[in-house]
Amino acid sequence: MNTEIPTVVVVDDNATVRALFQRSTENLAIELHTFGSADDADEFLADQKPKLLFLDIIMPEKDGLTYLQELRRQPLHRDTPVIMITSKDYAQDRTVANELGALEFITKPMPMRAITDIILKYINKDNHY
Amino acid sequence: MANSYLRFWGVRGSYAAPFPTHLKTGGNTSCVEISVDDKILVCDAGTGIIPLGNKLAAQQKTKELVIVLTHYHWDHICGLPFFVPAFIPDWKIQFYGPGESILEMKQNLDSQMQAPYFPVGTETWMAQIEYIEPSQRVINVGSMQIKHHSVHHPGITYGYTIDTGKKKVIYVSDNECQFLDKSIKQKMTEFSQEEQEMFEAMNREEYEYELHAIKDADILIHDAQYTPEDYETKRGWGHSCYVDVVNSAIDAGVKELYLYHHDPYNDDNAIEKIYEESIKIIQSRNASLKCHVAREGMEVELD
Repeated sequence: MNTEIPTVVVVDDNATVRALFQRSTENLAIELHTFGSADDADEFLADQKPKLLFLDIIMPEKDGLTYLQELRRQPLHRDTPVIMITSKDYAQDRTVANELGALEFITKPMPMRAITDIILKYINKDNHY
Repeated sequence: MANSYLRFWGVRGSYAAPFPTHLKTGGNTSCVEISVDDKILVCDAGTGIIPLGNKLAAQQKTKELVIVLTHYHWDHICGLPFFVPAFIPDWKIQFYGPGESILEMKQNLDSQMQAPYFPVGTETWMAQIEYIEPSQRVINVGSMQIKHHSVHHPGITYGYTIDTGKKKVIYVSDNECQFLDKSIKQKMTEFSQEEQEMFEAMNREEYEYELHAIKDADILIHDAQYTPEDYETKRGWGHSCYVDVVNSAIDAGVKELYLYHHDPYNDDNAIEKIYEESIKIIQSRNASLKCHVAREGMEVELD
Protein backbone atom coordinates (compact mmCIF):
# COMPACT_ATOMS: atom_id res chain seq x y z
CA MET A 1 0.00 0.00 0.00
CA ASN A 2 1.25 3.43 -0.89
CA THR A 3 1.36 5.49 2.33
CA GLU A 4 2.47 8.72 0.74
CA ILE A 5 -0.30 11.33 0.74
CA PRO A 6 -0.83 12.41 -2.85
CA THR A 7 -0.74 16.07 -3.72
CA VAL A 8 -3.47 17.52 -5.92
CA VAL A 9 -3.16 21.05 -7.30
CA VAL A 10 -5.99 23.19 -8.68
CA VAL A 11 -5.33 26.38 -10.65
CA ASP A 12 -8.52 28.34 -11.32
CA ASP A 13 -9.21 32.06 -11.05
CA ASN A 14 -12.75 31.40 -9.81
CA ALA A 15 -12.62 31.30 -6.00
CA THR A 16 -15.86 29.33 -5.82
CA VAL A 17 -14.36 26.60 -8.00
CA ARG A 18 -11.42 26.41 -5.62
CA ALA A 19 -13.82 26.25 -2.66
CA LEU A 20 -15.78 23.52 -4.43
CA PHE A 21 -12.61 21.43 -4.75
CA GLN A 22 -11.86 22.01 -1.06
CA ARG A 23 -15.35 20.93 -0.06
CA SER A 24 -15.41 17.94 -2.42
CA THR A 25 -12.12 16.54 -1.17
CA GLU A 26 -12.65 16.96 2.58
CA ASN A 27 -12.92 13.18 2.98
CA LEU A 28 -10.10 12.25 0.67
CA ALA A 29 -6.64 11.56 2.00
CA ILE A 30 -4.98 14.01 -0.29
CA GLU A 31 -3.06 17.22 0.14
CA LEU A 32 -4.92 19.85 -1.86
CA HIS A 33 -3.30 23.10 -2.95
CA THR A 34 -5.32 25.69 -4.80
CA PHE A 35 -4.09 28.76 -6.70
CA GLY A 36 -5.92 31.63 -8.39
CA SER A 37 -3.56 32.05 -11.32
CA ALA A 38 -0.65 30.47 -13.16
CA ASP A 39 1.63 33.10 -11.63
CA ASP A 40 0.50 32.13 -8.14
CA ALA A 41 1.05 28.42 -8.84
CA ASP A 42 4.49 28.91 -10.40
CA GLU A 43 6.50 28.99 -7.19
CA PHE A 44 4.87 25.82 -5.83
CA LEU A 45 5.15 23.91 -9.10
CA ALA A 46 8.77 24.96 -9.57
CA ASP A 47 9.90 22.05 -7.39
CA GLN A 48 6.75 20.03 -6.66
CA LYS A 49 5.26 17.43 -8.95
CA PRO A 50 1.64 16.83 -7.94
CA LYS A 51 -0.06 13.51 -8.40
CA LEU A 52 -2.77 15.37 -10.27
CA LEU A 53 -2.96 18.92 -11.60
CA PHE A 54 -6.23 20.66 -12.54
CA LEU A 55 -5.87 23.68 -14.84
CA ASP A 56 -8.65 26.07 -15.77
CA ILE A 57 -8.50 27.03 -19.44
CA ILE A 58 -9.83 30.59 -19.29
CA MET A 59 -7.91 32.68 -16.78
CA PRO A 60 -7.48 36.45 -16.99
CA GLU A 61 -3.79 36.69 -17.77
CA LYS A 62 -2.16 33.38 -18.58
CA ASP A 63 -4.64 30.79 -19.86
CA GLY A 64 -4.45 27.14 -18.84
CA LEU A 65 -3.40 25.79 -22.23
CA THR A 66 -0.50 28.20 -22.58
CA TYR A 67 0.53 27.44 -19.00
CA LEU A 68 0.41 23.70 -19.72
CA GLN A 69 2.69 24.25 -22.72
CA GLU A 70 5.16 26.03 -20.44
CA LEU A 71 4.97 23.30 -17.82
CA ARG A 72 5.54 20.57 -20.37
CA ARG A 73 8.86 22.16 -21.30
CA GLN A 74 10.04 21.69 -17.71
CA PRO A 75 11.51 18.21 -17.15
CA LEU A 76 9.67 17.97 -13.81
CA HIS A 77 6.27 18.35 -15.46
CA ARG A 78 6.85 16.56 -18.74
CA ASP A 79 4.45 13.85 -17.60
CA THR A 80 2.56 15.42 -14.70
CA PRO A 81 -1.04 14.14 -14.96
CA VAL A 82 -3.22 17.10 -15.94
CA ILE A 83 -6.98 17.56 -16.15
CA MET A 84 -8.39 20.67 -17.78
CA ILE A 85 -11.26 22.61 -16.18
CA THR A 86 -13.52 24.38 -18.62
CA SER A 87 -16.91 26.02 -19.01
CA LYS A 88 -17.16 24.82 -22.57
CA ASP A 89 -15.97 21.63 -24.14
CA TYR A 90 -14.70 23.11 -27.42
CA ALA A 91 -13.28 20.48 -29.78
CA GLN A 92 -10.28 22.68 -30.64
CA ASP A 93 -9.37 23.08 -26.97
CA ARG A 94 -9.65 19.33 -26.51
CA THR A 95 -7.31 18.71 -29.46
CA VAL A 96 -4.70 21.12 -28.11
CA ALA A 97 -5.00 19.73 -24.58
CA ASN A 98 -4.71 16.16 -25.84
CA GLU A 99 -1.58 17.05 -27.79
CA LEU A 100 -0.15 18.41 -24.55
CA GLY A 101 -0.97 15.17 -22.79
CA ALA A 102 -3.96 16.30 -20.73
CA LEU A 103 -5.88 13.27 -19.48
CA GLU A 104 -9.39 14.65 -19.74
CA PHE A 105 -11.71 17.60 -19.22
CA ILE A 106 -14.00 18.42 -16.33
CA THR A 107 -16.76 20.83 -17.27
CA LYS A 108 -18.28 23.54 -15.07
CA PRO A 109 -20.66 23.29 -13.29
CA MET A 110 -19.20 20.04 -11.95
CA PRO A 111 -21.00 18.31 -9.07
CA MET A 112 -18.86 17.40 -6.07
CA ARG A 113 -19.20 13.71 -6.89
CA ALA A 114 -17.61 14.32 -10.32
CA ILE A 115 -14.62 15.95 -8.63
CA THR A 116 -14.06 13.10 -6.18
CA ASP A 117 -14.60 10.49 -8.90
CA ILE A 118 -12.02 12.00 -11.21
CA ILE A 119 -9.47 12.42 -8.42
CA LEU A 120 -9.97 8.84 -7.24
CA LYS A 121 -9.65 7.62 -10.80
CA TYR A 122 -6.11 8.95 -10.99
CA ILE A 123 -4.75 8.55 -7.48
CA ASN A 124 -4.34 5.47 -5.40
CA LYS A 125 -7.83 4.50 -4.23
CA ASP A 126 -6.32 3.44 -0.85
CA ASN A 127 -6.12 7.14 -0.02
CA HIS A 128 -9.91 7.28 0.33
CA TYR A 129 -11.22 6.76 3.87
CA MET B 1 -9.62 63.59 -40.55
CA ALA B 2 -9.18 63.54 -36.78
CA ASN B 3 -5.73 62.96 -35.28
CA SER B 4 -7.07 59.93 -33.45
CA TYR B 5 -9.69 57.63 -34.87
CA LEU B 6 -10.72 54.07 -35.30
CA ARG B 7 -11.98 52.73 -38.56
CA PHE B 8 -13.80 49.51 -39.32
CA TRP B 9 -12.25 47.79 -42.37
CA GLY B 10 -13.96 44.44 -41.85
CA VAL B 11 -16.95 43.65 -39.68
CA ARG B 12 -18.01 40.13 -40.70
CA GLY B 13 -17.37 36.97 -38.81
CA SER B 14 -16.59 33.51 -40.15
CA TYR B 15 -16.21 34.31 -43.88
CA ALA B 16 -16.36 37.24 -46.23
CA ALA B 17 -19.84 38.12 -47.46
CA PRO B 18 -19.52 40.33 -50.57
CA PHE B 19 -23.18 39.98 -51.45
CA PRO B 20 -25.32 42.89 -52.68
CA THR B 21 -27.76 42.26 -49.82
CA HIS B 22 -24.97 42.65 -47.24
CA LEU B 23 -22.96 45.65 -48.40
CA LYS B 24 -24.69 48.35 -46.35
CA THR B 25 -23.07 46.58 -43.39
CA GLY B 26 -20.00 45.33 -45.22
CA GLY B 27 -18.62 42.05 -46.48
CA ASN B 28 -15.01 41.92 -45.27
CA THR B 29 -13.94 39.93 -42.23
CA SER B 30 -12.51 41.31 -38.99
CA CYS B 31 -10.14 44.25 -39.11
CA VAL B 32 -10.14 47.52 -37.18
CA GLU B 33 -7.55 50.27 -37.55
CA ILE B 34 -6.84 52.47 -34.54
CA SER B 35 -4.72 55.48 -35.32
CA VAL B 36 -3.47 57.85 -32.63
CA ASP B 37 -1.16 60.69 -33.69
CA ASP B 38 -0.13 58.72 -36.79
CA LYS B 39 0.77 55.60 -34.79
CA ILE B 40 -1.21 52.68 -36.16
CA LEU B 41 -2.58 49.67 -34.35
CA VAL B 42 -4.50 47.08 -36.34
CA CYS B 43 -6.81 44.65 -34.60
CA ASP B 44 -7.05 41.43 -36.60
CA ALA B 45 -6.10 40.72 -40.18
CA GLY B 46 -9.21 39.39 -41.88
CA THR B 47 -9.98 40.40 -45.46
CA GLY B 48 -10.58 43.95 -44.21
CA ILE B 49 -6.83 44.39 -43.86
CA ILE B 50 -6.47 44.20 -47.66
CA PRO B 51 -8.07 47.60 -48.44
CA LEU B 52 -6.35 49.02 -45.34
CA GLY B 53 -3.01 47.83 -46.73
CA ASN B 54 -3.77 49.42 -50.08
CA LYS B 55 -4.51 52.74 -48.38
CA LEU B 56 -1.35 52.58 -46.28
CA ALA B 57 0.84 51.68 -49.25
CA ALA B 58 -0.39 54.78 -51.05
CA GLN B 59 0.64 57.22 -48.30
CA GLN B 60 4.05 58.35 -47.05
CA LYS B 61 3.31 59.60 -43.53
CA THR B 62 4.07 56.39 -41.69
CA LYS B 63 5.74 53.08 -42.51
CA GLU B 64 5.21 51.30 -39.27
CA LEU B 65 2.36 49.48 -37.56
CA VAL B 66 1.50 46.85 -35.00
CA ILE B 67 -1.02 44.08 -35.70
CA VAL B 68 -2.64 42.39 -32.71
CA LEU B 69 -4.46 39.16 -33.45
CA THR B 70 -7.26 37.83 -31.29
CA HIS B 71 -6.60 34.29 -32.55
CA TYR B 72 -5.60 32.43 -35.70
CA HIS B 73 -8.90 31.35 -37.21
CA TRP B 74 -8.98 32.06 -40.94
CA ASP B 75 -11.39 34.96 -40.81
CA HIS B 76 -8.85 36.83 -38.64
CA ILE B 77 -5.68 36.20 -40.62
CA CYS B 78 -6.72 35.49 -44.22
CA GLY B 79 -6.05 39.05 -45.39
CA LEU B 80 -2.33 38.85 -44.61
CA PRO B 81 -1.25 37.14 -47.85
CA PHE B 82 -2.63 40.20 -49.68
CA PHE B 83 -1.46 42.87 -47.24
CA VAL B 84 0.68 45.06 -49.48
CA PRO B 85 2.86 46.81 -46.81
CA ALA B 86 4.27 43.40 -45.84
CA PHE B 87 5.80 43.19 -49.31
CA ILE B 88 7.40 46.67 -49.24
CA PRO B 89 11.00 46.87 -47.92
CA ASP B 90 10.80 50.11 -45.91
CA TRP B 91 7.85 49.03 -43.80
CA LYS B 92 8.12 47.68 -40.27
CA ILE B 93 5.32 45.39 -39.08
CA GLN B 94 5.08 43.89 -35.61
CA PHE B 95 2.73 41.06 -34.69
CA TYR B 96 1.33 40.13 -31.32
CA GLY B 97 -1.15 37.40 -30.45
CA PRO B 98 -1.83 34.28 -28.42
CA GLY B 99 0.89 31.67 -28.20
CA GLU B 100 3.49 30.28 -25.90
CA SER B 101 6.41 31.44 -28.05
CA ILE B 102 7.34 33.64 -30.98
CA LEU B 103 7.98 30.47 -32.96
CA GLU B 104 4.41 29.29 -32.40
CA MET B 105 2.98 32.66 -33.47
CA LYS B 106 5.18 32.70 -36.56
CA GLN B 107 4.23 29.14 -37.50
CA ASN B 108 0.54 29.99 -37.16
CA LEU B 109 0.94 32.79 -39.70
CA ASP B 110 3.40 30.99 -41.96
CA SER B 111 1.26 27.93 -42.40
CA GLN B 112 -1.62 29.64 -44.20
CA MET B 113 0.82 30.84 -46.90
CA GLN B 114 2.51 27.50 -47.45
CA ALA B 115 2.04 25.40 -50.59
CA PRO B 116 -0.40 24.19 -51.74
CA TYR B 117 -2.55 26.87 -50.08
CA PHE B 118 -0.73 29.93 -51.43
CA PRO B 119 1.91 30.49 -54.14
CA VAL B 120 4.41 32.44 -51.99
CA GLY B 121 5.34 32.11 -48.35
CA THR B 122 6.01 34.67 -45.63
CA GLU B 123 9.71 34.53 -46.57
CA THR B 124 8.73 36.77 -49.51
CA TRP B 125 7.61 39.51 -47.14
CA MET B 126 10.16 42.27 -47.63
CA ALA B 127 9.07 44.49 -44.77
CA GLN B 128 10.88 44.27 -41.47
CA ILE B 129 8.71 41.73 -39.68
CA GLU B 130 8.91 41.33 -35.94
CA TYR B 131 6.98 39.25 -33.43
CA ILE B 132 6.39 40.67 -29.98
CA GLU B 133 7.17 38.15 -27.25
CA PRO B 134 3.77 36.68 -26.30
CA SER B 135 4.66 36.63 -22.60
CA GLN B 136 4.78 40.44 -22.73
CA ARG B 137 1.56 41.49 -21.03
CA VAL B 138 1.51 45.16 -21.95
CA ILE B 139 2.49 46.53 -25.32
CA ASN B 140 2.81 50.14 -26.32
CA VAL B 141 2.16 51.71 -29.68
CA GLY B 142 2.96 55.41 -29.42
CA SER B 143 0.77 56.67 -26.60
CA MET B 144 -1.50 53.62 -26.81
CA GLN B 145 -1.20 50.99 -24.13
CA ILE B 146 -2.59 47.58 -25.03
CA LYS B 147 -3.43 44.69 -22.71
CA HIS B 148 -5.10 41.38 -23.46
CA HIS B 149 -7.49 39.10 -21.60
CA SER B 150 -8.68 35.58 -22.39
CA VAL B 151 -12.18 35.14 -23.79
CA HIS B 152 -14.50 32.23 -24.49
CA HIS B 153 -13.86 30.94 -27.99
CA PRO B 154 -12.36 27.69 -29.31
CA GLY B 155 -8.58 27.78 -29.03
CA ILE B 156 -6.82 30.46 -27.03
CA THR B 157 -8.43 33.75 -27.97
CA TYR B 158 -7.76 37.24 -26.69
CA GLY B 159 -9.78 40.37 -26.22
CA TYR B 160 -7.79 43.63 -26.19
CA THR B 161 -8.09 46.76 -24.09
CA ILE B 162 -6.55 49.74 -25.81
CA ASP B 163 -6.01 52.81 -23.72
CA THR B 164 -5.38 55.64 -26.16
CA GLY B 165 -4.72 58.15 -23.39
CA LYS B 166 -8.09 59.72 -24.04
CA LYS B 167 -10.39 56.76 -24.65
CA LYS B 168 -10.64 53.20 -23.47
CA VAL B 169 -11.39 51.02 -26.47
CA ILE B 170 -12.09 47.33 -25.91
CA TYR B 171 -11.98 44.95 -28.85
CA VAL B 172 -13.58 41.54 -28.37
CA SER B 173 -14.21 40.11 -31.82
CA ASP B 174 -15.03 36.53 -30.79
CA ASN B 175 -16.46 35.67 -27.41
CA GLU B 176 -19.34 33.58 -26.15
CA CYS B 177 -20.52 35.52 -23.15
CA GLN B 178 -22.80 34.35 -20.34
CA PHE B 179 -22.19 30.69 -21.25
CA LEU B 180 -21.81 29.32 -17.73
CA ASP B 181 -25.06 30.96 -16.66
CA LYS B 182 -26.99 28.92 -19.21
CA SER B 183 -25.13 25.69 -18.37
CA ILE B 184 -25.98 26.07 -14.70
CA LYS B 185 -29.64 26.88 -15.38
CA GLN B 186 -29.94 23.84 -17.65
CA LYS B 187 -28.64 21.43 -15.02
CA MET B 188 -29.78 23.10 -11.80
CA THR B 189 -32.29 20.41 -10.82
CA GLU B 190 -29.57 17.74 -10.91
CA PHE B 191 -27.65 19.36 -8.05
CA SER B 192 -27.90 19.28 -4.27
CA GLN B 193 -28.88 22.44 -2.40
CA GLU B 194 -25.26 23.03 -1.39
CA GLU B 195 -24.07 22.60 -4.98
CA GLN B 196 -26.76 24.91 -6.29
CA GLU B 197 -25.61 27.64 -3.91
CA MET B 198 -21.97 27.14 -4.90
CA PHE B 199 -22.78 27.18 -8.60
CA GLU B 200 -24.76 30.37 -8.22
CA ALA B 201 -21.74 31.92 -6.51
CA MET B 202 -19.46 30.52 -9.24
CA ASN B 203 -21.70 32.03 -11.88
CA ARG B 204 -21.78 35.45 -10.20
CA GLU B 205 -18.00 35.39 -10.05
CA GLU B 206 -17.71 34.35 -13.71
CA TYR B 207 -20.07 37.15 -14.74
CA GLU B 208 -18.08 39.63 -12.64
CA TYR B 209 -14.98 38.55 -14.57
CA GLU B 210 -16.75 39.13 -17.87
CA LEU B 211 -17.94 42.54 -16.74
CA HIS B 212 -14.56 43.49 -15.33
CA ALA B 213 -12.97 42.80 -18.73
CA ILE B 214 -15.19 45.38 -20.46
CA LYS B 215 -15.87 47.68 -17.53
CA ASP B 216 -16.25 51.39 -18.22
CA ALA B 217 -15.20 51.08 -21.85
CA ASP B 218 -15.72 54.25 -23.82
CA ILE B 219 -16.02 52.06 -26.88
CA LEU B 220 -16.71 48.33 -26.82
CA ILE B 221 -16.46 46.45 -30.10
CA HIS B 222 -18.00 43.05 -29.39
CA ASP B 223 -19.03 39.85 -31.12
CA ALA B 224 -22.80 39.93 -31.61
CA GLN B 225 -23.07 37.21 -34.21
CA TYR B 226 -26.25 35.44 -33.18
CA THR B 227 -29.92 36.12 -32.68
CA PRO B 228 -31.64 34.23 -29.85
CA GLU B 229 -33.02 31.84 -32.50
CA ASP B 230 -29.51 31.22 -33.94
CA TYR B 231 -28.13 30.68 -30.49
CA GLU B 232 -30.60 27.86 -29.80
CA THR B 233 -28.72 25.70 -32.29
CA LYS B 234 -25.25 27.29 -32.08
CA ARG B 235 -24.64 27.36 -28.38
CA GLY B 236 -21.04 26.37 -27.69
CA TRP B 237 -19.77 27.63 -31.07
CA GLY B 238 -17.88 30.45 -29.40
CA HIS B 239 -20.01 33.47 -30.36
CA SER B 240 -22.45 35.65 -28.50
CA CYS B 241 -26.11 36.35 -28.84
CA TYR B 242 -26.58 40.12 -29.14
CA VAL B 243 -29.09 40.10 -26.26
CA ASP B 244 -26.38 38.91 -23.86
CA VAL B 245 -23.87 41.41 -25.26
CA VAL B 246 -26.19 44.38 -24.84
CA ASN B 247 -27.10 43.35 -21.29
CA SER B 248 -23.45 42.78 -20.36
CA ALA B 249 -22.47 46.15 -21.82
CA ILE B 250 -25.17 47.89 -19.78
CA ASP B 251 -24.14 46.05 -16.60
CA ALA B 252 -20.47 46.94 -17.18
CA GLY B 253 -21.12 50.64 -17.64
CA VAL B 254 -19.96 50.70 -21.25
CA LYS B 255 -20.59 54.04 -22.96
CA GLU B 256 -20.80 52.98 -26.61
CA LEU B 257 -21.24 49.48 -27.99
CA TYR B 258 -20.48 48.51 -31.56
CA LEU B 259 -22.15 45.24 -32.55
CA TYR B 260 -19.47 43.39 -34.51
CA HIS B 261 -18.44 40.12 -36.16
CA HIS B 262 -21.76 39.90 -37.96
CA ASP B 263 -22.95 36.54 -39.13
CA PRO B 264 -22.37 36.33 -42.91
CA TYR B 265 -25.75 34.63 -43.11
CA ASN B 266 -27.41 37.87 -41.93
CA ASP B 267 -28.16 40.42 -44.64
CA ASP B 268 -28.55 44.16 -44.01
CA ASN B 269 -32.22 43.78 -43.06
CA ALA B 270 -31.46 41.07 -40.50
CA ILE B 271 -28.73 43.22 -38.95
CA GLU B 272 -31.04 46.24 -38.84
CA LYS B 273 -33.50 44.09 -36.90
CA ILE B 274 -30.74 43.08 -34.45
CA TYR B 275 -30.01 46.78 -33.99
CA GLU B 276 -33.67 47.65 -33.39
CA GLU B 277 -34.04 44.86 -30.85
CA SER B 278 -30.84 46.02 -29.11
CA ILE B 279 -32.26 49.52 -28.79
CA LYS B 280 -35.45 48.06 -27.27
CA ILE B 281 -33.38 46.25 -24.63
CA ILE B 282 -31.54 49.46 -23.77
CA GLN B 283 -34.81 51.42 -23.54
CA SER B 284 -36.51 48.73 -21.48
CA ARG B 285 -33.64 48.91 -19.00
CA ASN B 286 -33.67 52.69 -19.04
CA ALA B 287 -29.93 52.59 -19.75
CA SER B 288 -27.71 55.26 -21.26
CA LEU B 289 -25.68 52.85 -23.44
CA LYS B 290 -25.30 54.02 -27.02
CA CYS B 291 -25.48 51.15 -29.47
CA HIS B 292 -24.30 51.03 -33.08
CA VAL B 293 -23.93 48.50 -35.82
CA ALA B 294 -20.25 48.33 -36.82
CA ARG B 295 -20.25 48.96 -40.54
CA GLU B 296 -17.38 48.72 -42.98
CA GLY B 297 -15.86 52.14 -43.63
CA MET B 298 -17.32 53.63 -40.45
CA GLU B 299 -14.91 55.95 -38.66
CA VAL B 300 -15.10 56.94 -35.00
CA GLU B 301 -13.20 59.92 -33.61
CA LEU B 302 -11.05 59.19 -30.58
CA ASP B 303 -9.95 62.74 -29.78
